[in-house]
Amino acid sequence: MFYSIRHVTRFRYSAPVRESVMELRMQPRSEGPQTLRSFQIATNPRAQLYAYTDHLGNAVYHFNMLREHEELRIEAQAVVEMAPFPERPAKLDDLEWSRYNGFNLNDDHFDMLEPSKYARPSPELDAFMRIADLQKPVGDPLSALLTLQRGIYDSFEYQSGITEVNSPIEVALEQRRGVCQDFAHIMTAIARQWGIPARYVSGYLYHKGTRDRSSADATHAWVEAWLPSIGWIGFDPTNNIMAAERHVRAAVGRDYGDTPPTRGTYKGGADSELSIAVALEPTAAPVRHEDFLKVARPMSSPAPTPSMPERLYHQQQQQQQ
Amino acid sequence: MQHEAFANTEDFGGPDVAPGPGRISRPGADAPYADYELGKPYDEMFTREGAVRGPYAALDSRLSTLSLEELVRRQQTCEQSFLHQGITFTVYSDNRATERIIPTDLLPRIITASEWARLEAGLTQRIVALNLFLRDIYNEGRVLKDGVIPRTLIYGSKHYRREMRGLPVPHGAYVNICGSDMIRNEAGDFVVLEDNLRVPSGVSYMLANRDVARRAFPAVFRSMGVRPIEHYPLELLATLRSLTPFTEDVSIAVLTPGVFNSAYFEHAFLARQMGVELVEGRDLLVNDNVVYTRTTSGLKRIDVIYRRIDDDFIDPLNFREDSALGVPGLFNAYRAGNVTIANALGTGVADDKAVYAYVPRLIRYYLAEEPILNNVETFLCREEKSLSHVLANLDKLVVKAVGESGGYGMLVGPHASQKERDEFAAKIKADPDNYIAQPTIQLSTAPTFVGNGVEARHVDLRPFILHGAETKIVPGALTRVALKRGSLVVNSSQGGGSKDTWVLSQ
Repeated sequence: MFYSIRHVTRFRYSAPVRESVMELRMQPRSEGPQTLRSFQIATNPRAQLYAYTDHLGNAVYHFNMLREHEELRIEAQAVVEMAPFPERPAKLDDLEWSRYNGFNLNDDHFDMLEPSKYARPSPELDAFMRIADLQKPVGDPLSALLTLQRGIYDSFEYQSGITEVNSPIEVALEQRRGVCQDFAHIMTAIARQWGIPARYVSGYLYHKGTRDRSSADATHAWVEAWLPSIGWIGFDPTNNIMAAERHVRAAVGRDYGDTPPTRGTYKGGADSELSIAVALEPTAAPVRHEDFLKVARPMSSPAPTPSMPERLYHQQQQQQQ
Repeated sequence: MQHEAFANTEDFGGPDVAPGPGRISRPGADAPYADYELGKPYDEMFTREGAVRGPYAALDSRLSTLSLEELVRRQQTCEQSFLHQGITFTVYSDNRATERIIPTDLLPRIITASEWARLEAGLTQRIVALNLFLRDIYNEGRVLKDGVIPRTLIYGSKHYRREMRGLPVPHGAYVNICGSDMIRNEAGDFVVLEDNLRVPSGVSYMLANRDVARRAFPAVFRSMGVRPIEHYPLELLATLRSLTPFTEDVSIAVLTPGVFNSAYFEHAFLARQMGVELVEGRDLLVNDNVVYTRTTSGLKRIDVIYRRIDDDFIDPLNFREDSALGVPGLFNAYRAGNVTIANALGTGVADDKAVYAYVPRLIRYYLAEEPILNNVETFLCREEKSLSHVLANLDKLVVKAVGESGGYGMLVGPHASQKERDEFAAKIKADPDNYIAQPTIQLSTAPTFVGNGVEARHVDLRPFILHGAETKIVPGALTRVALKRGSLVVNSSQGGGSKDTWVLSQ
């Protein structure tokens, strides 16, 4: 089937800013069951776009804007074709653990075994693993990961506004509340402690029905774990489902830090306001959708120190929900 | 190229005479060596029996003709010369930063031609192997697959830059400027203590010390055939030029963190000597993937950046976002091949104190040669057997945190109190992977003027290696001196000084 995705990001500044530099990781990946059919990015004001593929295979677009501007709008539009996912076993045999060995593991996996900035062990994580009975994996790796996914789903309430885009997992762990980004980091960190290579996926989820806790008008995040006899398999602890045809993958990495949809800086003493809107619709054929999208939930960032107008400011980033 | 900073060629001393046949000095008895102690360490000037080593004979004869007052006067002139030229550095402590002059000692340290030949060959071998290692771990990772070095050591290193994977680097030269710390052990052999592959500093002090020592002992200097080092800035410039495909109108800049950096003097000095721009991050901008410097006449393209900023701070878009020192988008311009950064990013993974222990194996692995220069014996606390050995022998060992430099985060066991050792043991046990230990190495001693005579003080040696299209080592080095009697810590941030190093042509 085909999905049409429209992702609009808008930065508004209270006063003119200049020398914006921006990196985008929004282009859906084209691999496995997912094929990218079309992709465009438009910016307003217009900018010359450059692109590269990062070391994780993510497409990164970037641009800069020297002249003064009070608003920056980025609109990405993609059409993705999703083939049916191959049948997955419900469980694996216990010998799967012994297959995490030097013959099967390669460099891609080792990087996803080491703790990273947002997915790393901590006393709070240990406490959660103890309370939720997740200290040791039970059963084969696939069963254990499904137990872990359910454990996170059951233990945490989905609520935005508790954590921020750069919150460490400790905030969500203490509050037992958070959004998909937090749950994905927690699941990644625990899987790695168990010796299972795990990575963070940033993308989009086609929401249907009311069972999905995540937010339909935001980017989504979930986890991929590596099973020697199957490969990378996606787990969505926010919604307690395995990632499949409804999950459109845009970027993978060790954690959010490797995959932010937008990251940038600007100069000038001004408040900034970030608004994001995402719309994902099934479509019969790759066509362009116009104007079916509302700009949702503006987020403000505190005024940068006005006394230092020459300072460099970081663009607010979008938390994945 | 003129050395503006050191243009004063007036001699410090009065009339200086060429050395004649001297008397035989006895350390520990005769002036000015009355308090000169010869102990277990190798001494650069005297044999264990107290005889003056050949290369020092001329200096010894000269010293014996100078009165104490004259030496004091020359030493003071040396220090004043440093002060007047603004050769300072900044000491950081918990709550304040103090600017000081680097204490300089007027007595040169002498290295013979054959000693230098071996050092040169060994350092060249080492930098070639380390660059092959960096190219390997940022590309196919053969050394990891072959199990020569543990993967966690690389992937777990905070200096490993994943962004560098698969990026081509001119001539495969990741480390273009290296300042290796060498010491001379009790047997008189030079061994490598540390490879400084990130932003090594000190070369300006090497040049400043030469100016001082040459004027303190002009006739001795002239008579000995000391090899020149004044062309270092030109060699550095040639190395930086070799890193860009362009041959005409190559624009080079030295990127400094700013005036508050401890080595700012050096950044300004090198830029002036090379005749290139000295810039801070805010002076640069990236437009359409090209780096420009803001000038009074508009934007000017920059092709090569000799950066004296750590990786973390160089580009807030790609690395530490709280960096106010860097240039947003610089790494993307670099990735696109529109600018060269020297040293390349991610070189710190190879001078990690834990990776250091593997360098001899890396030399054998990449070059199929035996290392010409040895390492100091190193215990990796990550290995259980080593850890228990280290904890049981803390009073005999020097323990260092893997990621730190400049003498911070280290314990010199024999000089520490029991309380300090216990506290450090707890730190090691909490995070063994982060620590290595080495036997307390008796750094060699060299004659140093201490105010009321000449005494033995511990010294190390930091030669500077340039590696671009080819490898060049200017025949000289910074000799750092632990000015406190008995001290083994030579770092300028910890109260060390420096002196000139004379490499003889024959």
